[in-house]
Amino acid sequence: MPESTNQKITSVGIDIGTTTTQLVISQLTIENTASGTLVPRVEITDKEVIHRSRIYFTPLLDRDLINAVEVSKIVETEYKAAGLTPEMIDTGAVIITGETAKKENAKAIIDALAGFAGDFVVATAGANLEAIYAGKGSGAALYSAQRHQVTVNIDVGGGTSNYAMFHEGKAVDSSCLNVGGHLIEFERHGDRITYISEPAKIALKHTGQRLQPGERVTLPQLRPIVKAMAGCVVDVLKTSVHTELTKELLMTPPLQLAHPIRKVMISGGVADYVYALNGPTTMAEVTAFGDFGPLLGWELKVCLERDGFVLEKPAETVRATVIGTGTQSVNLSGSTIHLQENTLPIRNVMVISPFTSLIPETPQGIAEVIKNEILRLQVDHFEGIAAIAMKGPRTMSFANINILAQGLLLGMHDYLCKAKPLILVVEADCGKVLGQCINASANKPLELICIDQLEVDNCDYIDIGKPLMGGRVVPVVLKTLVFNR
Amino acid sequence: MAVANNELEKVIIQSVMEELAKKGLLSQKGKDHVMAAAMMDTPLVPNTESEEMVTFPPQEEMQISNPFNADAVKAMKKLTPARIGIGRAGTRPKTMSLLRFLADHAVAQDAVFLDVSEGFLQRMNLMSVQSAAVSKDEFLQRPDLGRRLSEEAVKIVSEKCEKNVQVQILIVDGLSSTAIEANIPDLLPALMQGLKSAGIKVGAPFFVKNGRVWVQDHVASIVNSEVIISLIGERPGLGTAESLSAYMIYRPNETTVEADRTVISNIHKGGIPPAEAGAHLTDVIQQILAAKASGVKLNQQK
Ligand code: B12
Repeated sequence: MPESTNQKITSVGIDIGTTTTQLVISQLTIENTASGTLVPRVEITDKEVIHRSRIYFTPLLDRDLINAVEVSKIVETEYKAAGLTPEMIDTGAVIITGETAKKENAKAIIDALAGFAGDFVVATAGANLEAIYAGKGSGAALYSAQRHQVTVNIDVGGGTSNYAMFHEGKAVDSSCLNVGGHLIEFERHGDRITYISEPAKIALKHTGQRLQPGERVTLPQLRPIVKAMAGCVVDVLKTSVHTELTKELLMTPPLQLAHPIRKVMISGGVADYVYALNGPTTMAEVTAFGDFGPLLGWELKVCLERDGFVLEKPAETVRATVIGTGTQSVNLSGSTIHLQENTLPIRNVMVISPFTSLIPETPQGIAEVIKNEILRLQVDHFEGIAAIAMKGPRTMSFANINILAQGLLLGMHDYLCKAKPLILVVEADCGKVLGQCINASANKPLELICIDQLEVDNCDYIDIGKPLMGGRVVPVVLKTLVFNR
Repeated sequence: MAVANNELEKVIIQSVMEELAKKGLLSQKGKDHVMAAAMMDTPLVPNTESEEMVTFPPQEEMQISNPFNADAVKAMKKLTPARIGIGRAGTRPKTMSLLRFLADHAVAQDAVFLDVSEGFLQRMNLMSVQSAAVSKDEFLQRPDLGRRLSEEAVKIVSEKCEKNVQVQILIVDGLSSTAIEANIPDLLPALMQGLKSAGIKVGAPFFVKNGRVWVQDHVASIVNSEVIISLIGERPGLGTAESLSAYMIYRPNETTVEADRTVISNIHKGGIPPAEAGAHLTDVIQQILAAKASGVKLNQQK
C-alpha cells in the first residue's frame, strides 16, 4: 500500500479581538513517528509560521458591531500578501475573543469567514479555549512540559484577562476576568477620556472615583483604578477567596488552583509593558494607543512581584492567541475510518460521554446507559451529528471490547437508522480493534469513525476534517473546553 | 571475634527487619520468627505458615527522598519503565529497588524456562507440536534446532494442516512462555476476526514448542501458505517478561534472509495492547498479501 510518511498542511489562525485583529498562516508537518515495529502514530512534528499579518485595529461599525466586510478584506489582503488562495488552506480556526465575542454579530462573522477562509476553517470562540490557545501560543504550555513546572499564562488583552494553567504541557485549568487595557479609552497621547466601559465603571465604584467621558485625568488619578484592576488579576492567582471587585469582574468560574504555581507568563497586548524596564511616567506615554494598556502592564508586574510570583518571558506576546489558534487548534487522530469521501468534513459534532463510571458488563447494560443519555440530552431532536466518547472498554480484553461494540450498536440503533455516521472517541489505545468489532457485529456496512487516544468531555463540540496521510488520520478540532468543576 | 561478629550480625538483622516492618513489608509475626531464629544461632528454617508475599510499592512511585523537582521525576518516570527515580542508600540501591530487581530477574528467568501449560493450549484449542530441540536446555544451546520441526511434528503438520491457505498462524513459545499466556487470549481472536472480515483464508493456528522465528520457514514449506506469521515470545527484559512479537514473511524459501521478514514487536499490556495489535496485524497482513512481499521488499514498495 503506497503511503507517504510525511505530509504538510497549511493552517490559518484568525483572531478578532476587542482591540486588534490578526492572522497567521502556518505550515504543519505531520509524520508517522512510530517506528516500523509499532502501530503507526501520526503526529504534528513541526509547526512553522509562514506568514504573520500586520496587527489591525478590529474594524467596528459601532461599539457593538464588528464590520464583517472590513474583516474579510483584511483576510483577503493578508492571503494575497502570503501568496495563498482560500483553496490552499487545509485547516485552522477563526476565534472571536474577549469583549468582541459578546458583540451581536459575532456569529454572523464566524459564519461568513468560515466560508471565505478555505474549506476546513472552523469557527471557535469561548473564553476557556481562547485562554488555552494563548497559553500554547505564548510558549507557556511548552515551558511547563520542558521545565516540569506548573505555569500559568495570562493573556491580557483589550477587554479580558484569560488564564490558562499548564501542567506538563497540558491545560488543567482556565478562567477569564473582565480586565483589559482598553476598558477606558482616551484621546491618543492625551489625557481626555473618550469612553468608559461597564467593567471599568464597576472598578471605579470600588475605588470610589468618579470619572466621566470628556474629563481630563492625571496619572495619579488614573493609577488607583488601574492598580485595582491589576490587583484583581493577581487575586485570581493567589486565592479562591476573592475580593468583591474580583468576584464582580470574573466572567467564568475562577481558577481552582489545584496545583502550586511555579511560573507566570503574561501575553497579549499589554505584555510588552509587563516586561519593560520602566513604567510609563506621563499620560502621553500611557495613552499612546488611546487606552491605559501600558500602565496596566506595569502595575501588573508590580503587583505580581510584590506577591512573590516569578515572571517568565513568553516566546510570543501580542501574537500569542493568534499563533496558538493557527498552530495548536488541530489534533490529529486516527484508527478506524470507514467513510465515504464526501461525508467529511463534519462540523459541530456534539460529544456525549454517557459512561460516568465503569462501563457495564453486558451489551444490554451498555445500550441502556447510552439510550438514557440520548434521551436526557434529547439527541433525537438534535439535527446534527453526535459522537460517543468514553475512556475505553471495561478492560482491554478482546471479550470486553466486543461487548462494548455490541452495546454501542444496540444503544445507537435508532440513531443509526437515520443514516448518520457512527462517531466514537476513545481514550484508550483500542480504536482499531473496536472499529473492527463494530464492523464485524453490524448487520450492514456502517459509516464509522473510531478515533482513539484523544480526550474529550461531555458536551464538547468537535470538527472533523478530511482524512490525511492516505486516509489514516483525520484532523480533529476541539471547540469547547470545560474543566471538571 | 566470633562472638563480636555474631552480635554485629544480630544488630544488622534486627535493623533490616525493623526497616521492612516499618515499610509494612513484614508482619510482626514474620519479624518475630526471623529474630528468634537469629537469636538461636541456628540456621534459619523458613516458617511456611508465616511466609507472606512481599508487595512492592507501585513502579510509578518516586523513591527519591528530597527531590529538587518532583514533577520532573514523575514526568520522566511516566516516559519509561526503566529504573529511574529510585533514589539510593549511600552508593547502593535502596532495599526496595534491589528486591524489585531480583524479583524482575526471576520473572524473566521463569518466562524463558517455563513451558506454556497444557491447560492453556486446551483452552485456546491449539494443536501442539515440537521443534527439533527436545528440551529447554537444548533449545537454548542449539538455536539451529529451534528453527526446524521435529520429525514427528513434520508428520503431524503434513497430515493435519490445511494446505495452500492465504495465511498460516503459528504460536511459538520462543524465549517467553509468559508472553504467550498473557497475550494470545486477546490477540488471536482479534486477528482471526480481522482476517475473517477481510475475507482472507486462514489455516487453523497451532502451537510450536521450543521454537525460534525461522521455524515458520519450515512450516511454510509444508503447508504452502502465502503468508506465515509467528506470534513468538520475545527475549524477556527486566521491564517486562510478557512482550510478544509478530514476525511475518511472504512465501519463504531457501534464499530467504532475515530482511525478508516484517516484525511488529512490543505487544503487551504496557506496549501495544494485544487486542489492538490483532487488528493492526490484520492491516499489515493485507498489505503483505497485496504487495506479495514482506520485510524490506515491502517497505521499498511503499
Ligand atoms: C536478540 C535481538 C537481536 C539479535 C538476534 C540474535 C539472534 N541470532 O538470535 C541481533 C543482535 C543479531 C539483532 C539484530 C538486529 N535487530 Co534485533 N532484536 C533482538 C531483540 C532484543 C530480541 C528478539 C527476540 O526476542 N526474538 C525472539 C526469539 C525467540 O527469536 P529467535 O528466533 O531466537 O531470533 C531471531 C529474531 O530475534 C530475529 N531478529 C532479531 N532482530 C530482528 C530485527 C528484524 C528487523 C527482523 C526481521 C528479525 C530480527 O533474528 C533472530 C535470528 O533469526 C529484539 C527486541 C524485541 N523487543 O523483540 C530486537 C529487535 C527485533 N531488533 C531490531 C532491529 C532493528 C535489529 C537490526 C535491524 C538492527 C540493525 N540496525 O542492524 C538487526 C537485524 C537482524 C537481522 N539479522 O536482520 C528491532 C526491530 C525493529 C523493526 N521491526 O524494524 C527490535 C524490535 C529492537 C527494537 N526495539 O528496535 N537483534
